[in-house]
Amino acid sequence: MGLIALGAGLAVSIAGLGGGIGMGVSGGKAIEAIARQPEVGGDVRTLMFITFAFIETLTIYGLLIAFMLVGKMTA
Amino acid sequence: MIFGMWDAVFFKLGPIPVDHLIVTQWAIIVVIGLIAFCATRDMKLVPSGLQNGFEMIITWTYDFFTQLMDEEHIAKKFAPLLSTFFLFILFSNYSGLIPGAAHIQGFQPPTSNWNVTVALALVTFCAVHFGGFSEHGAHYLKHFVSPSAAMLPLNLLEEITHPLSLTVRLFGNIFGEEMIIAYLLFMAPFLIPTALMGLSVMLGAIQAIVFTILSASYIAAATSAGH
Repeated sequence: MGLIALGAGLAVSIAGLGGGIGMGVSGGKAIEAIARQPEVGGDVRTLMFITFAFIETLTIYGLLIAFMLVGKMTA
Repeated sequence: MIFGMWDAVFFKLGPIPVDHLIVTQWAIIVVIGLIAFCATRDMKLVPSGLQNGFEMIITWTYDFFTQLMDEEHIAKKFAPLLSTFFLFILFSNYSGLIPGAAHIQGFQPPTSNWNVTVALALVTFCAVHFGGFSEHGAHYLKHFVSPSAAMLPLNLLEEITHPLSLTVRLFGNIFGEEMIIAYLLFMAPFLIPTALMGLSVMLGAIQAIVFTILSASYIAAATSAGH
C-alpha cells in the first residue's frame, strides 16, 4: 500500500520534472525569438503552443499512471 | 468505472445506455445551436451585434487555418469541422465551472471522461485519412512506406499514437484539473479554490485551442503535397 502511494507520487513528480525543464527551455527560446524578431510573434506563438502540448502529453501520461495507482489503492 | 465520478444511467436508447455525460453534451449542442440560430436569424449585409461577433470568429478561424495549412481549399474544407471542435470542447470544458455544478449529478464536464475524448480523437483520425485519400487518392498509401518500407511499422505506430495522445491530453488535463479543484474544495471550502478555477478558465480555452491546432496540423500533414 505504502509502495503504491510512493509510486504514484514518483510517477507524477518525475514526469512533472522532465516536462517542466522542457517547457522552460522551449518557452524561454520562444520568448527570445519573439524579442529578437517581434514580427514573427504569431507564428512562434502557435508553434510554441504545439510544442507545449507535446511536452505536456508526457507529463499527463505520468499523471494518468498516478491516478490509476491511487484508484488501485483506494479500491 | 475507474475514471468516472458517477455512473448514472438515466434511460436506455435501444442498446445504448444514456448517462449524464450524453445528456450534458446534448445540452451543449442545444446551447451552441441556439446561439448560432440567434446570430443568423436576421442576417444583414452590414452586421451588428451577435452576427458581427460570429462573422469575426468565422473569418478569424478561416484565416488562421489557411495560414496553418498553407493550402486554402483544404483549410476551407476542414475549417467547419475544426471550428466545431473548438466550440464544443470549449463549452464542454466550461460546463464544469458553472457555479454549483459540482453538486448536480450530471454536470461533470464531458471532456473529463475517456469515452468522450476518444470519440473526438477518432473523428480527427477519420478526418485525417479521409483528407489524405481525397487529396491524393491511392498515392496516399505511399506515405506509409516513405522514406523506405522499413519505416512501415513506425509510421503505423505514429498513426495510432496521434489519436491516443489527443485523447489522453484533453482527458488528463480536464480530469486532473477537476480532481485538484475537488481536493481543494474538500480541504478549504471557501475562497482558495477560486484561484484555481480562474486558472482553469484559461486552461480550458488553451486545451480547446491545442486540440484544434493539433488536429489541423495532422490534417495538413496528411493532405500536403510534400510526401
